[in-house]
Amino acid sequence: MQRKSTFKIFVLFTIVLVNTGFLFGQNWVVPAEKKAKASPFLFTEVTSKQGEAVYTKNCQSCHGNPGKDNALKSLTPQPPDPAADKMQKNTDGEIFYKISEGKAIMPSFKNILSETDRWDIISYIRSFNKSYTQAAINTNASTSSPVKIRVKFDSITKKLIFSAKKATKKDSVPVVDAETEIFVMRYFGNMQLDSSQQTNDSGIVAFSIPEKLPGDSTGFLKIIVKMNDDATGEKSDTFKLKIGVPTIVPGLTANRAMWNVVSKSPVWLLATYFSILLGVWVFLIYVITRLVKLKKLGKETK
Amino acid sequence: MSEKEDKPKKKTRREFLQQIGIVGAGTILAGSAIYAGFSYQNKKKPGDRIKVLTAENELIEVDKNDTTKAKKVLATDLTELQKEGREGIPGKRWVYVVDLSKCRNARKCMSACNEAHHLRPEQHHINTLLMKESKNTPAYYMPKPCMHCDNPPCVAVCPVDATYKRPDGIVLIDNERCIGCRFCIAACPYSARILNWIKPEKEEEDKGKTYNVELNIPQRLGTVSKCLFSADRIREGKLPYCVSACPNGVYYFGDENEDAVTNGTTKETVPFRKLLEDNGGYRLMSDLGTQPRVYYLPPKNKSYPFQDKDKPEAEKDVSEG
Repeated sequence: MQRKSTFKIFVLFTIVLVNTGFLFGQNWVVPAEKKAKASPFLFTEVTSKQGEAVYTKNCQSCHGNPGKDNALKSLTPQPPDPAADKMQKNTDGEIFYKISEGKAIMPSFKNILSETDRWDIISYIRSFNKSYTQAAINTNASTSSPVKIRVKFDSITKKLIFSAKKATKKDSVPVVDAETEIFVMRYFGNMQLDSSQQTNDSGIVAFSIPEKLPGDSTGFLKIIVKMNDDATGEKSDTFKLKIGVPTIVPGLTANRAMWNVVSKSPVWLLATYFSILLGVWVFLIYVITRLVKLKKLGKETK
Repeated sequence: MSEKEDKPKKKTRREFLQQIGIVGAGTILAGSAIYAGFSYQNKKKPGDRIKVLTAENELIEVDKNDTTKAKKVLATDLTELQKEGREGIPGKRWVYVVDLSKCRNARKCMSACNEAHHLRPEQHHINTLLMKESKNTPAYYMPKPCMHCDNPPCVAVCPVDATYKRPDGIVLIDNERCIGCRFCIAACPYSARILNWIKPEKEEEDKGKTYNVELNIPQRLGTVSKCLFSADRIREGKLPYCVSACPNGVYYFGDENEDAVTNGTTKETVPFRKLLEDNGGYRLMSDLGTQPRVYYLPPKNKSYPFQDKDKPEAEKDVSEG
């Protein structure tokens, strides 16, 4: 009897646990390799102040003032207060990932805020947590050696291959395991191509390019590559490559249409107008010639 | 005959007085005539001045003698702003995408637009409509700007070439040509156009500004105005006012030729055709053949529920059954 009730309690407990986890949507899973990502700089009062400014402009309208518990209550799921445990128990890397990518009603900020801005925000958020100690940061980042990125296009597999090398005192070594993203430059912003990938052991990373990617009139495209390596920090480079489809499109006013200017009006309209005009004139001239002829005839008979 | 001889010789007192009288009267008459002439000259002046309307729309008076005939301003003599406003940005075909599943009636687009184009609060270049089509279909919010049609009925009916379509797709109005006939308002199936029936809100403030055809500022009384796709912002490489003001990621704007549209909130750039393909994009009243440049993504899986307070307004015109 007792064993049965214990079992019941156990089952009930598990159900409740699973449901709460499910209902409150606390299962925002962050990929393991992103979880461990750490800030490239030390959090100080200065970075926290800068973070406050960015936070006030971009986050406060929904998340409220940290510690004041005045987040926007009308939203579901409810945005957590940054000072609350729910936020603070995330690792720095997790918060960074969530700010960057967004989910459901939380917007993605990776195209709006620079990485430094995002880390500044985390610095500000952490200033409300007395028990927080920053993980040891990689000091190599500041004294990084220059990274050289080379590009090659494989026209058979339609892949863009980048190789990154870091110059050291003796020779150059490949940049290994650096997260790389490529973008194509567009009028209002940069459009990401393919998903982000990591460089392999020889510092090489390949991206597939979609077919029929519109380029300029000669097929040129500006490709931006962003490489983020824990040891060297972020490196970005721009290449002008002839890998797009040449795009020469006439203006939308090129064709004849009812709404277009007089010189571009439809042929049938012009034909109708001028034939009516011509018809009227021909008739008038005919009448006059007949009248003249009639007068002549009158003279002859006299 | 003594009388006859006497007469020429000696003037009688009567004759003398008569002559004096005539001369005096003559002098007085002449004097008064001269005086009247002078006073007339003085009086005549204001009447001889003519009223002239300056380019700044100010009514002034000038002396008729001081005027010279002005060179006739031809319709082709446009300001630089008007010229570039007719040409557009080469090689582009702008497209506007509205994701109805993201809209929660924040109306930030409308206020940003009204501020930019100096409109009164009740005037709309973009308006968020509360929609409910029938009893059983869901209610949703629908922002509606000008569709910038590729086959614009409004442009076809304009008798003075005031409204026109540019090679990059934008339909604009030149308020300096507009005569306020409102044919275009009647022709537009989307009710996108408005008329400045009363004095524009910031008329005093805008006085003396060079007219910008890509911004419709200064707004002019008695002329038509409408959404311009923020042609002035696009020229600077910035997203339109409404698109960048949206806090909910409703709007995308971009170039069809580049096959890329950028979200105004997240600033994320995505392929235009794939966005439509994945989300079932459509255009409003496409059966009319107007070929709008504004695309809609259906209100599926809405991020925000339709608010209860908006329900009576949305359900107002829904018939039973």
